[in-house]
Amino acid sequence: MPKLTIDGKTIEVAKGTTLLEAAQQLGVYIPRYCYHPRLSVSGNCRMCLVEVEKAPKLVTACSTEAAEGMTVRTDSEKVKAARKDVLEFLLINHPLDCPICDQAGECGLQDYYMEYSLKKSRFSREDKVRRGKRRPLGPNLVLDNERCILCTRCVRFCAEVTKTSELEVMERADHSFIDLKEGKALDNGYTLNIADICPVGAWTSRDFRFKQRVWFLKKTPTVCLGCATGCQIEAHHNDNTIYRIMPRPNAETNTWLCDQGRMTYKAVQAGDRLSKGVIRNGVIDLEPALREAATRIDAAHSAAAVAVLGSPWLSVEDNAALARLAKDAIKTESFCFDLAAEQGIKDGILINKDAAPNTAGVALVKAAHGGISLGELASRLASGKIKVLVTEARAAAFLKPVLASAKPLLIVFATNRAQIPPEAYATLAYASYFETPGTFVNYQGLRRTTEPAVNAREGVKPLWTLVSKLAAYSGASLKLDSPEDALKGIDFK
Amino acid sequence: MENILLRDNVADLEGYFACGGYKPLKKALTAGPAAVIEEVKKSGLRGRGGAGFPAGLKWSFIPRDAQGPRYLVCNADEGEPGTFKDRELMIKNPHALIEGMAIAAFAIGASHGYIYIRGEFFAETEILEKAIAAARAKGFIGKNILGSGFNFELFVHRGAGAYICGEETALLESLEGFKGQPRLKPPFPAVKGLFGGPTIINNVETLAAVPAIIEHGGDWYAAIGVGKSTGTKLFCVSGPVNKPGVYELPLGVPFKDFLEKNCGGMKEGKKLKAVIPGGSSTPVLTAAEAMAVKLDYESLAAAGSMLGSGAVIIIDESQCMVKLLQVLARFYHHESCGQCTPCREGCGWIEKILNRLEAGKGSVKDIDTLYSVADSMLGRTICPLADAMAMPAMSFVTKFRSEFEAHAAGKCCE
Amino acid sequence: MPFLTDEFKEKAARLCAKYPRKDAALIPLLLELQKEKGFVAEDAMDALAKFLELPYARVKGVVTFYTMFNREPVGKYHLQVCRNISCHMAGAPDILAHLKGKLGIAEGETTRDGLFTLSTVECLGACGAAPVMQVNDDYFESLTVEKLNTVLDDLKHGRLRARGL
Repeated sequence: MPKLTIDGKTIEVAKGTTLLEAAQQLGVYIPRYCYHPRLSVSGNCRMCLVEVEKAPKLVTACSTEAAEGMTVRTDSEKVKAARKDVLEFLLINHPLDCPICDQAGECGLQDYYMEYSLKKSRFSREDKVRRGKRRPLGPNLVLDNERCILCTRCVRFCAEVTKTSELEVMERADHSFIDLKEGKALDNGYTLNIADICPVGAWTSRDFRFKQRVWFLKKTPTVCLGCATGCQIEAHHNDNTIYRIMPRPNAETNTWLCDQGRMTYKAVQAGDRLSKGVIRNGVIDLEPALREAATRIDAAHSAAAVAVLGSPWLSVEDNAALARLAKDAIKTESFCFDLAAEQGIKDGILINKDAAPNTAGVALVKAAHGGISLGELASRLASGKIKVLVTEARAAAFLKPVLASAKPLLIVFATNRAQIPPEAYATLAYASYFETPGTFVNYQGLRRTTEPAVNAREGVKPLWTLVSKLAAYSGASLKLDSPEDALKGIDFK
Repeated sequence: MENILLRDNVADLEGYFACGGYKPLKKALTAGPAAVIEEVKKSGLRGRGGAGFPAGLKWSFIPRDAQGPRYLVCNADEGEPGTFKDRELMIKNPHALIEGMAIAAFAIGASHGYIYIRGEFFAETEILEKAIAAARAKGFIGKNILGSGFNFELFVHRGAGAYICGEETALLESLEGFKGQPRLKPPFPAVKGLFGGPTIINNVETLAAVPAIIEHGGDWYAAIGVGKSTGTKLFCVSGPVNKPGVYELPLGVPFKDFLEKNCGGMKEGKKLKAVIPGGSSTPVLTAAEAMAVKLDYESLAAAGSMLGSGAVIIIDESQCMVKLLQVLARFYHHESCGQCTPCREGCGWIEKILNRLEAGKGSVKDIDTLYSVADSMLGRTICPLADAMAMPAMSFVTKFRSEFEAHAAGKCCE
Repeated sequence: MPFLTDEFKEKAARLCAKYPRKDAALIPLLLELQKEKGFVAEDAMDALAKFLELPYARVKGVVTFYTMFNREPVGKYHLQVCRNISCHMAGAPDILAHLKGKLGIAEGETTRDGLFTLSTVECLGACGAAPVMQVNDDYFESLTVEKLNTVLDDLKHGRLRARGL
């Protein structure tokens, strides 16, 4: 456990801790470009040079291990001069096209220039090295090699995280540049992380480019519902529109985010987003749609003729509300929250074998409320005893073969038209989890709650409130006034 | 005195053998690794590639308890402008290198050795390969060398055109099949080098001196030369002298004598203007400074330059210092590996300023910028290539500023 | 026909055996490929990457890093004129100018008959015999314009076969 002093403050750190990390622990920020906590140390940018007593030269804080008795200065004149010089070097061949650069506002060059340099350029414009600009590389990224500072974070990401090694620095000296095989798309399922870790505007997201200046964006911490991994994310939005999803690195689940997860926000503002009810193919207001659904449930003659199926795409609250609907309003025994699925990371990075976000949460609802197995529900449907099935649109697929033959009247909840199964009779629109809070349990058993980033469209309500209304139309009160009410009896442990 | 390295009639195994070759290897194998290292330490032999680090000390850096294979690598990537001594040595006396490597490998416990030779040296590669094959046939290389139980395999590995591979960790990267980009240190190669194993990298000339040290003893070698600059050194002289070439001399010879006696003086009676004493990356000396200096590590350091690789570049009055620095800057710009910022950007910047000055389109401000850019590269990079650009740049500007100013004023030369 | 010949693969196996990891043979193998074809083409990099089980980008990165790899076909004789400090002082600019004039090509170009490609290179490590030019694998030293003319003539008429051809 070496003890060292950084800028006059003493700290004891674990063996193997670098000066940069030790400083961070003390709250001393050392500027860096090539260093990334999740990638190997490259030491190429030279931005993190610090002064170590008795060392003949400045050393890179990212690669130098803390040693007993070390005295480090990150604020000496020597260090300040080095930072200024490194920034000048990084900027001489940079195009300085900030006004048309999407990185502006979150650019390492801009930020550090303001913080550590403010030096006038001594480099003549005509001497600048020209490189390739605006090259779309794969479905998600654009590469501007002129803005690149060759920190190699992207190269290391592809070598060390996705292990696909598509990228490499080609050529040498100041005419070197990042490239991949000609004609090949950069598409390894995690490419947008490259835009995140690129400290400058070299790699930008094709999806996000020019949609919004970053300083207008508000950030809401939430959870990715793209699969059972349940990555922590941040939704970036403005004026009630989401513009991008970024990972919220955490020790438990994720540093990165997959490209698929990044795109989950699109459904929220997609053209097929539902805000009303649908009866067969006709759109009607939500209230009459709810009334129609309730009427159909009542018309099933007996409670036993109605079945309710939970959904791993819904929050614990919404699943619990559905369980309550079955038990306390319809009073049917034919409800099922038995949706076990194989879980685990399937690609060695983040993507889960279970494509649904809340299989584990549904299991908690089952533990609290009971119900029948999926097989039993299928056979009850097959027997023809069940006339009405209430479920979430995507969950209907669990019963797909039997739905086609048994043809129950299908009432589903959906956010987007694309989700609606062809067999659906009534569809009820509900608020997406970017618009309403919901509790999810990921494959590790970690409980995570979404936080609304945007407001749902007028009239679009959380699913549990629709359930509560359905019950009311059938003459029962579930006493659900808040999402917490729905969680009563659920044991998260 | 008699040459230790550059000898005649030892190019083939028979000739080398006739002069007592490979006897030191036998002596070393009998004496044991510790005794060999001790002898080399005693000799004061210092790295002949440029840095001048004591060879015996370097060898002792391999951790005693290191597991797994160890490697010995010979740096024959001779590419520092002005330097051509290793080439001559490999042609004239390849077995001294091979024997030196076998002894060094034995001393450090290396089972495998590689000679990393620059790719352009095609003929020299053939010479080495033939010599190794001959040595192998006689049991000097390979399994159970001379019945000692010591195994040592030796291979020649060609580079493919990159000056940076002369830097020892870039060389290791290249030898492993990567781009020659220097590694961060620590860890140093003696701890974690080639293929992750403890590795010692020595220059051709350093290794070739080892057999003689073992044969005659460290004290004998240390008695040659002056002070901490022991032994003989190969000096390769280029430029307008009557007899350019490679000379083996005891360290500490006055430059003046070297120029007049060995090099046959200036060509066509030209007047000496400047000397780059140790390869293109060492600070330039004015004629007056050069004529007063002795050719050894300490004297050249005291004069503000370095012994470097022993590449003495003679510059006469007819040469334009701005043009020559431009030539050097073009080289360093071309050879910067591009890995770390100050070197990647600085070398190009310096060349561009010099292009402008050389074309008569520069200004006095450019001269100051040139100096300050070089200064801000110094000591801030992963490897010394940035320094190798910065040191000549700063010394050229400081010592020959009037020529730069003349260029800034649009005069000079043509 | 597979891109890598059996003969090449045999040689490759021998080269790889020199190292504990076969990818260490990447550069020697690229030099071998270049010897066969005169340059390293995209498909050569591809084939070699697959052969050594390496990412293509690693191979391409290496090829673009080292100056000895020709990425385009070169003439039968690749004239590489050193222009570094010692050669410069010894008249390399004149040598280069003479070659340009005589061959009617600029640096980096090949004569129409495919005989000569002209390049400039940095220090060849033969400064004592400046100015120096490398032709394929051979050095030609202490050049003068007269000597150069003889060399060119001899090469043209196949009287002086450069090594490796």
